[in-house]
Amino acid sequence: MMRRYFKGYEPGYHFWTAYLFILPALAIYGVFVFWPILQTVRYSLFEWNGLDTPQFVGFSNYVDLYHDEIFRVAFQNNLTFILFYTAFPIIIALFLTAILTRRKIFGLTFFRAGLFLPYVMSMVVVGVVWRWIYNPIFGPLNEFLEMVGLESWKRAWLGDFDLALPAVGVIGTWVQYGFCLVLFIAGVQRIEEELYDAAKIDGANEFRQLWHITLPALRSEIAVAMVTTLISALRVFDLVYVTTRGLPGNKTMVVSFHLYQNAFEQHKVGYAASIAVTLTSVILFISFLIIQWRKRVEENV
Amino acid sequence: MKNALRLITILALLIAALPTVTASQAQEDVTLVVWDINARDVENEVADTLAQEFEEAHPGVTVDRVAKSLDDLKATTGLALASDDGPDVVQVNQGLSDMGTFVKSGLLLDLTPYAEQYGWVEKLSPGIVARNSFTADGAVFGEGNLYGVPPLAEMVGVFYNRDLFNEMGLTIPTTFDEFEALLDTVVQQGMAPIVFGNLDGWPGIHTYSEIQNAYIDRTYLDDFVFGRSEVGFNTPENLQAAEKLVNWVDKGYFTEFFEGVGYDDSWGLFADGLGPMMITGSWLSGELANLGSADTFGFFLVPPAEAGQPKMSVGGTSLAYGIRASSGNADLAAEYIDWMMSARAAELWVAAGFIPVQPVDASLVEEGTLFGDLVNAWTWLNANDAVGHYIDWATPTFYNTITASLQELMAKEITPQEFVEKLDADYQEYLASK
Amino acid sequence: MFKMKRIPTYMLLMFFLLIAIIPFVIIVFTAFKTNREIIRGVFDMPEVWQFTNFEEAWNQAHFNQYFRSSIIVVIPVMITSTFLSLLTGCAFGRMNFPFKQALFFIFLVGIMVPQEAYIIPLYYQMDKLGLLDTYWALILPQIGMSVCFGTFWMQGFFAAVPRDLVDASKVDGCTMWGALWRVMLPIVWPGVLTMLVLFFIWTWNDFLLALVLVTKEELRTLPLGLAFFQGRHSMDTPLLAAGATLVSLPSILIYVVFQRYFIRGVTGGAVK
Repeated sequence: MMRRYFKGYEPGYHFWTAYLFILPALAIYGVFVFWPILQTVRYSLFEWNGLDTPQFVGFSNYVDLYHDEIFRVAFQNNLTFILFYTAFPIIIALFLTAILTRRKIFGLTFFRAGLFLPYVMSMVVVGVVWRWIYNPIFGPLNEFLEMVGLESWKRAWLGDFDLALPAVGVIGTWVQYGFCLVLFIAGVQRIEEELYDAAKIDGANEFRQLWHITLPALRSEIAVAMVTTLISALRVFDLVYVTTRGLPGNKTMVVSFHLYQNAFEQHKVGYAASIAVTLTSVILFISFLIIQWRKRVEENV
Repeated sequence: MKNALRLITILALLIAALPTVTASQAQEDVTLVVWDINARDVENEVADTLAQEFEEAHPGVTVDRVAKSLDDLKATTGLALASDDGPDVVQVNQGLSDMGTFVKSGLLLDLTPYAEQYGWVEKLSPGIVARNSFTADGAVFGEGNLYGVPPLAEMVGVFYNRDLFNEMGLTIPTTFDEFEALLDTVVQQGMAPIVFGNLDGWPGIHTYSEIQNAYIDRTYLDDFVFGRSEVGFNTPENLQAAEKLVNWVDKGYFTEFFEGVGYDDSWGLFADGLGPMMITGSWLSGELANLGSADTFGFFLVPPAEAGQPKMSVGGTSLAYGIRASSGNADLAAEYIDWMMSARAAELWVAAGFIPVQPVDASLVEEGTLFGDLVNAWTWLNANDAVGHYIDWATPTFYNTITASLQELMAKEITPQEFVEKLDADYQEYLASK
Repeated sequence: MFKMKRIPTYMLLMFFLLIAIIPFVIIVFTAFKTNREIIRGVFDMPEVWQFTNFEEAWNQAHFNQYFRSSIIVVIPVMITSTFLSLLTGCAFGRMNFPFKQALFFIFLVGIMVPQEAYIIPLYYQMDKLGLLDTYWALILPQIGMSVCFGTFWMQGFFAAVPRDLVDASKVDGCTMWGALWRVMLPIVWPGVLTMLVLFFIWTWNDFLLALVLVTKEELRTLPLGLAFFQGRHSMDTPLLAAGATLVSLPSILIYVVFQRYFIRGVTGGAVK
């Protein structure tokens, strides 16, 4: 009798072997991640306090969401965070990359390791540290301002209506720029030396080299930095939980925290699920756009 | 008819619960899981001692006590009560947003039968019983079954630093005008009179309420909090209080940068002598007495508009001990609650500088100490029926609305008029949904 | 090869490096100070290097418990996720089978969708399974998330293993299972190392799972312990700093030792 083999890299292995290899991982992932993802969509169509029988309400949670003032503020805040999580870190990192490339840097590993450190830390530690840094009475920031004679610059920081959001945002910039920088340095190291040599012969200055050689060569790293930092900006949770809990007013409210409060403090589970679905859709849509953009750019080259 | 039904339901539930409880208690070791709010060092010690003594008196019983901060409790209690192995005994925040929601979902056990068995009602004043009562469907606050028993009395007032008072030549005010004059005096001496930190949002509620209580009366507040007010929040008195609060901010009565200071930091700074006064709840008494000596700090109530006139102060009780409806150890849990309400518990709390809900033996109180001040204030409040409510109990969303709005008000993002309108909108929405 | 004109470059680098690490340096210094010293000046060195804050955080503030929980969670997650990712990586990298693309896409979904999006149903599902308030509630979903990345990551390494090596092993009568462990594992080992470091950091720092799925104090992991500790003792800055240091130390150590692998993982994994 002929045994049926599937055409593969390794003829001679029955494809059931592959399924056996995948099965355990798929089971755990399926039960504890994938199934809950699907369930979220279902939950979002119900009104449910998490305890009684859920009531099917169709899309009414989404209609409520559309009219939810706090959700709107939260979403806008997440968009503002894109500035701090994505734009600033990428700009700073590109600027540093421009300086660092084309020169041999002694101790590059050392700098790279140090700059990357914030990215390794638990966001709770980061939040706790910065909440203390911003403490208006005994925190280092105001103390520093006093030390250098800038008394009038002292502020309530996290409690200040105008500054709270930027103050939290700056923490994001601080965490992300090292990540972007390391990404870009890795990218630059792949650029062929001849390109620069040729440019030099053409008399291109450093700025032109950056603009015409380094930047285009880094586009795939820039795309990656954009996707990952954008996702971080849109899903901020730990940091807000630890530093401001959405206060003052709702100045630092973000979508994830609004979701958390609805689900676990106000017992509006179905509604919170509709927030989750909306958030996920936005994240997937933006990631998709950036990936498409990257593809198009690459095709043009 | 409805009452009879309720009675039958309760009886049925009790009968259903009883055999399993007695069976499990008789045969094997029982672990009683308790969540309480005694997270600060001094309170924690008292609660630990009591739990230990309970274990000694009940062989085979282990008390698994978890101390949690208010935020922690608020975030996890609902989930835990719904779970089959959640805590048996848990301290629940009174009011609609927490206790009301749990009652509505059938998560809390009706304590009325136990209250009769152990005589808890005699230890609590009628007003306090009302605050822990809901109808069985959770719809009406202030009447019906008893769902929680609070161990400690609580009131909001002014803690003051005796040394600073002496240095600045200040005396305890007897009218609201005198109080404001006192605040002015301190400002003139170059210090912010009230140590305040509102980063967490909720401390502002107490400050606002203390001003508000100078303008409103008992009937209004009762009606408002128990969800039967026809006038809502948009009243001239509430507006006046909001204007006064903004006025206090302008005059520099509060710690500079209070918007950015957390509550725990603020009382730490008060204990460190950053300012002469702090408006907060008596729950800090143990911690403050522990930091200084017995007479480092004193306490007085925010005075009324005219001397001697009764003025309400926010207060009442600590969070109330409740029992998870699905607990298999309900009887034991009730016994534990009774243990927390015992004379021995009262004695330990007094020794640690806290006021138990039941009357305090006068021989234990020393005049001129922080604790003496607190007991006097509490006695006065009870005698004058002047224990006010936490207004954030009014609707399920009121806490979130008022914390955000007060921060906006104090930062002048909104006007006092907009402030009362915002809160009124929340209140009216709730009334409409009832 | 040191040139004077490079000094500005180094100054700039130092500046950004300082910004990156100064908060941690202050925290570590603070952890050795007394409360009184804090009020005097944040930037002064501690007078006496005292370990009492660490002792207190460790014993009285339950950081020993949190530490234990973190270890109990992180080790099974690392071992199981790595083992499972080797299997899936080998399947996707070296074998062909029906629905391969579809299955791979399903795993990719797990990388793209944020945790926040499914934490609510996960909670109720854990409740139904009776796993709430157990270490399983932290371990199993974490493995679920990790294997998504692991599949994606290892698949590339397995695909790059030279064909002849595997063929040779087959001639020797090896099964796919045998070839995976004896022939391919040594070749993909650098990828495994990177993955281990990433799994460690992610699991060690996880906050949301621990926040929602575990309410018992003794099951709490370090990040959660620290977050609630802040709520209770924020005024005791040295103690808080000691706690923060204890939470960070293991990840910093792992990071410093394996930073080569870590950076490669984050940049490499992302660029693909």
